[in-house]
Amino acid sequence: MTLSASAPATVYVLDDDADLGASVARLLVRHGHAARAFVEPVALLRDYPRDPAACIISDVMMGDMDGFTFADAVRELDPDVALVFMTAWPTTANAVDSVRRYGGLDYLEKPIDEDRLLTAVAEGVAWSNGRRLLNRRTALLTARERQVFDMLVRGHSNKAIAGALGLSIKTIENHRAAVVTKTGTNGLAQLIALVS
Amino acid sequence: MASVPLPPADRATADIDAVDAPGEAPSLRSRSPWLPRDREWVVLAGYGVTFLALHRLAILWGGVGYYSLWFPAAGVRLALFWRFGARLAPATALTEIIVQCLTGIIVFTQPEWPRGIFGVASPVLAYGIAVAVVRRVADGATGSLATAPMPLGLASVLAPLIAVAFALPWSIVRPDITNVANVRDVIVSLTGFAVGDMLGVLLVAPPLLWIADLSSGSTAMPAMVPSRRDIAEAVIVLGLALGLVGMLASIGLGLPATPVLLAIAWIGLRFGRAAAWAAIVVTAILVLPETVGAIPVDQRLALHMSLAAVTVVGYLAGSFADAEARALAAVARRDRMLFQAERLKTLRAMSVAVIHEISQPLSTLAIEARHLVEISAHADPDIAETARLIERKTVTLSTLVRRLRRFGGRAVDEPSLLPVGALVDTVAALARPEASVAGVAIRIAPVDPEWTVLAQEIEIAQALVNLVRNAVQATDDGVVEIAVTRRDERVAIAVVNHCADHPLVHEGMGVGSLVAKAIVEAHGGTLSRADRGLLRIAHVVTLPLVGTLTGDAA
Repeated sequence: MTLSASAPATVYVLDDDADLGASVARLLVRHGHAARAFVEPVALLRDYPRDPAACIISDVMMGDMDGFTFADAVRELDPDVALVFMTAWPTTANAVDSVRRYGGLDYLEKPIDEDRLLTAVAEGVAWSNGRRLLNRRTALLTARERQVFDMLVRGHSNKAIAGALGLSIKTIENHRAAVVTKTGTNGLAQLIALVS
Repeated sequence: MASVPLPPADRATADIDAVDAPGEAPSLRSRSPWLPRDREWVVLAGYGVTFLALHRLAILWGGVGYYSLWFPAAGVRLALFWRFGARLAPATALTEIIVQCLTGIIVFTQPEWPRGIFGVASPVLAYGIAVAVVRRVADGATGSLATAPMPLGLASVLAPLIAVAFALPWSIVRPDITNVANVRDVIVSLTGFAVGDMLGVLLVAPPLLWIADLSSGSTAMPAMVPSRRDIAEAVIVLGLALGLVGMLASIGLGLPATPVLLAIAWIGLRFGRAAAWAAIVVTAILVLPETVGAIPVDQRLALHMSLAAVTVVGYLAGSFADAEARALAAVARRDRMLFQAERLKTLRAMSVAVIHEISQPLSTLAIEARHLVEISAHADPDIAETARLIERKTVTLSTLVRRLRRFGGRAVDEPSLLPVGALVDTVAALARPEASVAGVAIRIAPVDPEWTVLAQEIEIAQALVNLVRNAVQATDDGVVEIAVTRRDERVAIAVVNHCADHPLVHEGMGVGSLVAKAIVEAHGGTLSRADRGLLRIAHVVTLPLVGTLTGDAA
């Protein structure tokens, strides 16, 4: 997984219609993504740990495994991958579920609106990259530093954090300095930007 | 305002406004329901003349005391109330009093004139009460008793009995007035009264009502139209019965009614009310001339009671057969509706499946066509033009598929903003073909073009079409009106029709209304009946007003 802005983001297209999947993948390649099409959800899940993606575009109605079951499975492997759903059987209930329950960024109706698809993928890639950047930068934090970090980005003051965690303000200030150093930021504003 | 007759559409609007703003007390509402309206004055004048003629005719069958053993005027009276409502009872009583004054039966210089007026008015009021009671009971009931024409049959029997009950106190307190001398005479007199009125009602009211319905176009031919074979069967059955009675009479065994009673019951059950009535008339034509003039009262009473029994049994048998035929027709109609609904459901499922199958390859085509346009931009102009053409057509097809999906499947759970005026126009357009076949005009009062509701168009239009179809079947003046008003944050769509016979119209099984109610309530609305006066039925659908197209709807 690359975090470079200039490197093409990996995007997978999952549709039991091989022609459509290939066509969407070629479209994404033309728009600067490293796209690959899959016909079988199982095949994608099998290959995913070896080569995770920033975004997956998945059909909802498929043969053995539907798009939502696949979403649950792939989230188990990678909670930071962006999901976009597409379907030829759109319903309000599925549209709501796709976003609320399965964390989809969009729910596209076939025939696909190409511009909307590209916008959704771009947003998905940006969201996934942001999540991965955050994870990488906060990976070195200790458990206590993570607690302080979480409260800082929610807008709590040093005094409030000290009170909540039962520590001195001086200790909190030390943790805060460590958090800033380990995340490579230069202050509270960049810390908040990291999670937003 | 009260003296200016409004055209029907305006009248509907005025009536609805009257419900909306009771404080304004519109003039239409303040008019007494007991007063005749418009052409009802002419009808009452005609009734007066007819009553006079038939009253004279009834004298030929005068019985013990005051009452005739055949009183056809009672049939005209019942038909009048059945057609125009019991509210005309006071005006009808006044008409009969005027007639009796003009003929000298009531003389104001004589001390007995108040009792004379009471004697004339009480049977009229009794008939009014009978009609009102039967209509009210039938309106709230279900089953065979509420199915036309059973209620009319009940009223035909009940009205003479109530009239007799009204007359009973006077016969006891003042027997001299009705020329009876003892208890036996009282019983004979009142029995004659009941029998005479019942015969008059059953022989005269049905054809009068049928003619009235035919003239207003609100009725069809009898439910069962007999074939020649049916007619032959009825003639043979009745002929055999009459022949048997004649033979028994010729050998001195009197005039037993049983053969004719059985024959007419058979005819009624087999061929319906019209056939039963025709057989009754034939029997009456044979019997009534025989009982005119100097015939012992007990013989005349016995014959008329037999004729009344034959008439009641025949009429009820015919009514039962007609009601059964109507019920069977209603079941068949319901089956057709269910079949139609099932077919629509299947069609919808098929269309969704087809849309799915089309949208898959179309998605691929659309993406590739657009790509083709991009890469052929600098290619041969002919190739570029072809690519653009293909791309345009795929865009058109994609739009078409999305529209079809809205119609076929997705629209079910996604209501849209709908101008009420457009909705009403759609409903009228859908209902007009059936209405024009029935000779009914659909009139639409002007609708504010900015009123908008959030609704699933196909379903809500179906609900309103069901109401309009019911109104088309029920109306007796050939007009159905649709009027829309605003009630605070709701819009009220009223489907109004005129129907004097409204509690007794049970053409269907109410499936249309049930479907309409379910759909309307699913839209957060209500469906209620709010009659405009005694003769105008209004079914009102209210829906939450989302706003206006130019205002808060967005």
